[in-house]
Amino acid sequence: MHSSAPGQDTSPFIRAVGRALPPHYATQEQLIAAFRELWARKHFNLERLEDLHRAVQVGGRHLALPIEAYPPLTTFQQRNDAWIREATALSEVVVRQALDKAELAPSDVDHVFFATVTGIATPSIEARVANRVRFREDFKRTPLFGLGCVAGAAGLARAADYLRAFPTHTALVIATELCSLTLQREDLSIPNIIASGLFGDGAACAVLRGAAAPGAKGPRVVASRSVFYPETERVMGWDVVDSGFKVVLSAKVPNLVKDHIRGNVDGFLAEHGLGRKDVRHWVAHTGGPKVLKAFEEALELEASTLERSWASLREVGNLSSASVLFVLGETLEDAGARPGDWGVMMAMGPGFCAEMVLLRW
Amino acid sequence: MTETELQVLAEIRRIAADELEWKGAVEPTHDLLKDLQLDSLGLTVLAVGLENRFRIRLSEEDAQEVRTVEDLARLVAQRAAASGAPAPRTPEVRP
Repeated sequence: MHSSAPGQDTSPFIRAVGRALPPHYATQEQLIAAFRELWARKHFNLERLEDLHRAVQVGGRHLALPIEAYPPLTTFQQRNDAWIREATALSEVVVRQALDKAELAPSDVDHVFFATVTGIATPSIEARVANRVRFREDFKRTPLFGLGCVAGAAGLARAADYLRAFPTHTALVIATELCSLTLQREDLSIPNIIASGLFGDGAACAVLRGAAAPGAKGPRVVASRSVFYPETERVMGWDVVDSGFKVVLSAKVPNLVKDHIRGNVDGFLAEHGLGRKDVRHWVAHTGGPKVLKAFEEALELEASTLERSWASLREVGNLSSASVLFVLGETLEDAGARPGDWGVMMAMGPGFCAEMVLLRW
Repeated sequence: MTETELQVLAEIRRIAADELEWKGAVEPTHDLLKDLQLDSLGLTVLAVGLENRFRIRLSEEDAQEVRTVEDLARLVAQRAAASGAPAPRTPEVRP
C-alpha cells in the first residue's frame, strides 16, 4: 500500500506550465566563432576550448539579445538593465501563456513565486509583471534568488507547501533565466568557458492550485524533499565581482549526483511506500551531459527514460531553474500519463543541494 | 629536474594556488589525482594553464603517461623543447 503523507486529497495540483524562449538563436558553432577571438587573447590551444564547448552536447542557445548586442554591454549595470527589461518581457509571456493553458485569469492568482539567479531587481520581476498583466492588489510575492538550477523544483515544492495551507488558492512559479546576460567576457577561466557553452536563456511558469480549488485538475504534488550537502559551497555558485556574476563551477557536480541521488531518491520514495520501479515519469533538470549520465547510472534508468531532458539540453542548453519546468511542461503535455502514474521531478543546485518532488497523475 | 622542468613545477604550483583553490603543498612526487585531488575540470585547468605559459599542446594521449607532478613537468619541458619556443624565464604578470 502506498502512503502519500501529507495526504493526496490535500495535495495541490499542477494545472499547466507555460514556456518561452527569446527570439534570438545562435548555433553552438556560431557562438564558438564569436568567442574564438576573445579566447585567443589568453589561450594558446583554441581547439581544446572548442572541444569543451562541443562536449556539453548543446546544439545552440536562444539569447535574450541579438549576438552582436552583447559586446557593447561592458558593465554590470548595462547587463543588468538589459536583464530587467528582457526578463520582465519574457516573464509576462510565460505568465499569460500558462494562465491561458490553465483557463485562468491574472485575477485568479493569489501568490507568485519568482525564481532567478541571473539578474537582480528591486522591485523584483513579478512586481513588474503585475503591472503588465494586472494581478489583484492582494496577491502575495515571494522572489527567490540564489537557489540557481534547483529553484524550478524547489520553487514548485514551496508553492505546493503554501497551497496545503491555503487549499483554495492559486500560485504561479515563474523561473526566468537569462544566462547570456551574466557572461563575463573578460573572464577567460575554464569554468567560465564551459558555462558559456552550456547555459541558455528561457523562462517557464507553472500554475499550481490547491486541492479545494474548483475546475480542472492535473498531476498532484504529493510530497517533496530537500537535501542539503554540507561543506559544498564552492561546488557551484557565483562570486559577485565588480563586473557582475563570476561563475563558480566544479567538476564535482556529477560525482555528488552519483554519490547521493540514489540514496536520496530511494529514501524519499520509501517514505511513500514506493520504489524506483513504481515511477513512470522522471523529470530531471538538464544540468549537462555528465549530470544526466550520473542520474541515469545512479538510478539505473533505461536509456530512454530521460530523453526529454536530453532533448531539451541538446536544443536549448541548460536554462538553470527554468530547465526542469520545461521538461515538466513537456511531460504534462506529451508523456501520455495515465491516472495513477507516479512521477519524480528532481534538480540540484548551489548549496550544494537537491530537491525532489513526488507527482501523481 | 632541469631548469625548464623547475619552471613548469613553479607554474603548476601557481595554477594550483591561484586557479584551483589548492591550499596544500605541491611536490614533484605528488600524484595528480590522489594527492592533489584533481578532477576532470581541475586537470583541464592545469593543462590549459601550462599550454598557455609554455606555448605547447597537450592531448588526451599524453594523459596516459602522466601520473605525478614530475611526470607532467617532464612532458611539458620536452614538448616545449620540441616546439622550439623558448620557455619564458620570468612568470607572466597577470592581473
